[in-house]
Amino acid sequence: MRNLLDFLKDYYHWLLFVLLEVVSGFLLFQYNNYQASVWFSSANAVTGKVLEWTSEATKFFNQSQENERLTRRNLLLEQHVDMLRRRYMALTYDSTAMERHEMTFLSQYNLIPAKVVDNALGSKENLMTIDKGRADGVAVDMGVACGNGVVGVVYLVSDHYSVVIPVLNASSSRISCAIRNRGSFGYLHWYGGDPSVAYVEDVPRHAKFKLGEWVVTSGFSSIFPSGVSVGKIEQAYNSRDGLSYKLKIRLSTDFTNLRDVVVISDKSIAERAALLQAARDSINKITGER
Amino acid sequence: MARLVNRLGMFVVLLLVQVLVLNHVWLLNVATPLLYVYFAVTFPRNTEKGEVLVWCFLLGLFIDIFSNTPGLAASALTLIGMIQTYLVELFVPRDSAEDLDVSAATLGWGKFSTMSSMLLLVYCLLFFLLEAFNFFDWQLWLLRSVCSAALTLVLMLAIESVRSKR
Repeated sequence: MRNLLDFLKDYYHWLLFVLLEVVSGFLLFQYNNYQASVWFSSANAVTGKVLEWTSEATKFFNQSQENERLTRRNLLLEQHVDMLRRRYMALTYDSTAMERHEMTFLSQYNLIPAKVVDNALGSKENLMTIDKGRADGVAVDMGVACGNGVVGVVYLVSDHYSVVIPVLNASSSRISCAIRNRGSFGYLHWYGGDPSVAYVEDVPRHAKFKLGEWVVTSGFSSIFPSGVSVGKIEQAYNSRDGLSYKLKIRLSTDFTNLRDVVVISDKSIAERAALLQAARDSINKITGER
Repeated sequence: MARLVNRLGMFVVLLLVQVLVLNHVWLLNVATPLLYVYFAVTFPRNTEKGEVLVWCFLLGLFIDIFSNTPGLAASALTLIGMIQTYLVELFVPRDSAEDLDVSAATLGWGKFSTMSSMLLLVYCLLFFLLEAFNFFDWQLWLLRSVCSAALTLVLMLAIESVRSKR
């Protein structure tokens, strides 16, 4: 007994070492279903607060640049709208039709403005933290966009903060997109490295497009409405199996300088999900009866 | 007591510097300074081994919490704490104090930087190995580990040169 105690006294640090390593290993490998460990991520209130302070401090330095870019884009969009409105009027002789359409379209979505408090770019599985949470109406699987284009999808929500999986997450981010005005679909995929270049995969062989054309969200999933900018086509390749195209995209969102974003909450999501569930249930019932 | 306060101050400063500044440094897309390893390197000789382990684990855990990588720095830094307590014995001069401080001033520049670079290299290799668990590319892994270790070593020696002049 005495020997055992002596032994423990001399070598307890090895036991401690193994214990601590097991705890870290547990954290490390539990990470992927880390809903349970929301306390160990930047979504918890304390780390969120500290990161928010720093982002407040750095905001000052790149705000003017960001504003300038948004103003320029706003101007461009104004011109588009104006041009389209004139064309629409020439065809229908109805000067208010377009506003009516816009209002009905927008009323379907609820936009929650938020600020990015932490944004990593270094690794392949980047995550981003924003300063709005459940209390502000944010829920998991809502889309996040900024003035220049798509940003990502909400992954984890606490009361006042949320973690977003941005486009720049090589293993988890797959946003459905389409080529503007042509309607061929594909999935947006980022492979790491340059934060301004991503790829659209699974574009069918019969798709027609030109380099320099815009890729936008498809609106198939209820995460994003259709037509949110993704980026411009820079180059096209054959996919490895030769069955589809892979497009190299210059992303329109500047992830290195991201501050103000909106969370897009689609009011019809719950309804759509319920409908889909009902359809599944009835199919299961039919196959069950056979 | 003074040592405890000293340690605690170092803990907080290194933690904040790492998560607020150094985590965002990504030199030439390969090198990130992981300066907090300095905390593990400088434990005085004959510090209670269990104490070193707990300190290292906690610092790693806090770094992880801020950078969304649970367990990554914690596991690697705990290992470094373990190695440090044994490695220090190889580098202290004969007849030196039982609780000798580990710094460039007490060990000499050559020995201090050899010891630091050994610990840093092990740390970086392990850290980037665990981080890249899914996408394994051994050339990139070696490149990132060596570059990050070198960059961190430069920073550590810079800090040491300031401290030794006091």
